Amino acid sequence: MFTMSRLLVVAGKGGVGKTTVTAVMARASADSGLRVLVVTLDSRTGLSELLGGRATDGTTYDGTTIHTGLGPNGTGSIHLRTITASEALQDYLATQGLARLAKRLVASGVVGVVSSAAPGIDDLLVLGKIKHLVGLTGPNGEHDLILVDAPAAGHAISFLQSPRAMATTIRGGPLRSQAIEVQQMLTDPDKCRVLMVTLPETTPVNEMLETTESLRESVGVSFAPVVVNNVDVAVDMEALVAAGESTARGSLPTDDLMRAAEYRAERSALHRTTIERVGQISHDVITLPHVATASMDHDDVVVLADLVRGASPKRSRAKRPS
Amino acid sequence: MSVSDFANVLDGSRVVVCCGSGGVGKTTTAAALAIAAARRGRRVVLITIDPAKRLADALGVDSLSNDPAPVRLDGGAQLWAMMLDARGTFDAVIRTQARNEAQAERILNNPFYANIASRLSGSQEYMAAEKLFDLSNDDRFDLVVVDTPPTREALDFLEAPQKLMNFLDHRVYRWLMTPARGGLKVLNIAAQPILRTIGRVIGADVLADAIDFFQAFEGIEPGFVRRAGAVQSLLRSDQCRFVVVSSARRDTVDEAVYFTNRLSERDVTVAGLVLNRLQPSFGEGSAHSALSAARAAHKAGDETLAALQENLAHVRRVAEAEQAVIAPLVDRVRGAAVARIHQRATDVHDLDTIDALGREIIG
Repeated sequence: MFTMSRLLVVAGKGGVGKTTVTAVMARASADSGLRVLVVTLDSRTGLSELLGGRATDGTTYDGTTIHTGLGPNGTGSIHLRTITASEALQDYLATQGLARLAKRLVASGVVGVVSSAAPGIDDLLVLGKIKHLVGLTGPNGEHDLILVDAPAAGHAISFLQSPRAMATTIRGGPLRSQAIEVQQMLTDPDKCRVLMVTLPETTPVNEMLETTESLRESVGVSFAPVVVNNVDVAVDMEALVAAGESTARGSLPTDDLMRAAEYRAERSALHRTTIERVGQISHDVITLPHVATASMDHDDVVVLADLVRGASPKRSRAKRPS
Repeated sequence: MSVSDFANVLDGSRVVVCCGSGGVGKTTTAAALAIAAARRGRRVVLITIDPAKRLADALGVDSLSNDPAPVRLDGGAQLWAMMLDARGTFDAVIRTQARNEAQAERILNNPFYANIASRLSGSQEYMAAEKLFDLSNDDRFDLVVVDTPPTREALDFLEAPQKLMNFLDHRVYRWLMTPARGGLKVLNIAAQPILRTIGRVIGADVLADAIDFFQAFEGIEPGFVRRAGAVQSLLRSDQCRFVVVSSARRDTVDEAVYFTNRLSERDVTVAGLVLNRLQPSFGEGSAHSALSAARAAHKAGDETLAALQENLAHVRRVAEAEQAVIAPLVDRVRGAAVARIHQRATDVHDLDTIDALGREIIG
């Protein structure tokens, strides 16, 4: 699945583990030998540490290479960078031959006022930079795959809608051309796909489906497999509950044993039916297992990445849009 | 014990603001607190920002409306609920603040206004604050419970009036405004070098709309600033209580701590903490003891008992990890009412379950 498009935008509601999934996908693709660029818009999400870097790694516009020499032939690497709107703007103005003015414009605050008055410009500038980076991917380029840890759901929609919105608002000038080019990239499934992340529970899945529909309609993006995170179905809890009921309930040292088993059985039943439901709507589903922790770390990410590589659905790699 | 800490928070305030990062059950918690307060005899209005569909259906706020609708509760409890319509609220503010109908129309019809009203960063937060202020002065209600957008933006919620004041006070804004007073035409302003450059980039007509918008604002800004100031004093007064909502995962706890710190920088203390979706630990023992018992059972050849003990060890390991993660947050909000809510097997989205959740929080 890591070669289906150049750019994967990882999106999902707050709390579903979007950043963890970004790290897992980055690690899994680098472990497959790909040179991966991870882009975040917010340096405070802990993504660097999840990838095995230090807290300060990847917090700048140019970023940090966190790993090299990964994968079977040592070709895999992970580079993390943080792209903010104001840096993307200076970068953009420089490409427009306005480098000297750029600093002054930003410093004077004029840009701040105008861009807050023309919302969407910020998002468009960031996407414009990402589009530029996508253009540099490929065998002769610096990276094979770009992963973007998108803003949380509500903002993810407006983030990805910004090019189309700006192309409508702005009637001329270079930024309009920029908006049109970014929109073309977003709708080209060989270049860009959105990877939706959700939890195996009713409301998160409903919200994931709503966001998917909204992105499909209002932006026209294609999708990578859906990732269902924190799935707890490894142990057959129902069977264990049944075994406990039939053999030992009366003789168990404490009732806590059965209560704990019933609790977990109920959850895994919910997880199973929810995943089934996601599977009926989205053909390619990747499940990431529940990890018994309250704070994911780099080691967890490496383990999950191995699982993803082992479990990566083959048909999604073959499935190219007609 | 007479009245619980959370009951005190609900009984003694005019406004309760629920904050926390996304996905921690903030909207549900706000709804539960609102029902609990209504059950305690208060006339409550709940403002939700972006509720999940089924929750919105349950509350009867499934469409945007700028006026609260009554929620049907038994036992004579009085609760109203609404989903924030940021655009509608912004429109209403413009209409109230404009000097006359013509000025209001000029602003409302400006293409740029549409952008600002719906997408200006912080505008949703500002409008939530605006609505909150409005409803806190409405005689129908004596308590406003408000849900907020995710944490970082929830800070904007507190700062939103200030942000708007800064925006209107910005020297660039003043500079754009000045020519309007001097009778200069939009075209002439746009011809100034720095603006010509911006115009080249974003398009001259967009810039013209922006300038026109700022100029149309002429004379409104003092009213806006005054009102923003009043909203801010309410948010900072002791009639307003902040409740932090978190789950027991490190990232959301970090956000909750960050938020608590930012609040205390403004001399605002957190009045309540709701910890959602905690894993129950099933009994007093530790994960370690359950694991030892599992080994013993395994040795004795009782595989069912071994598996049951292993499972108990698993759930306790998660519960113990969660306790370690929430400890610094609980410590940070010392003195606040704390409610620990266990993970439920199913989603909370109907009135009865929200009602039950409210009772659990009150304790």
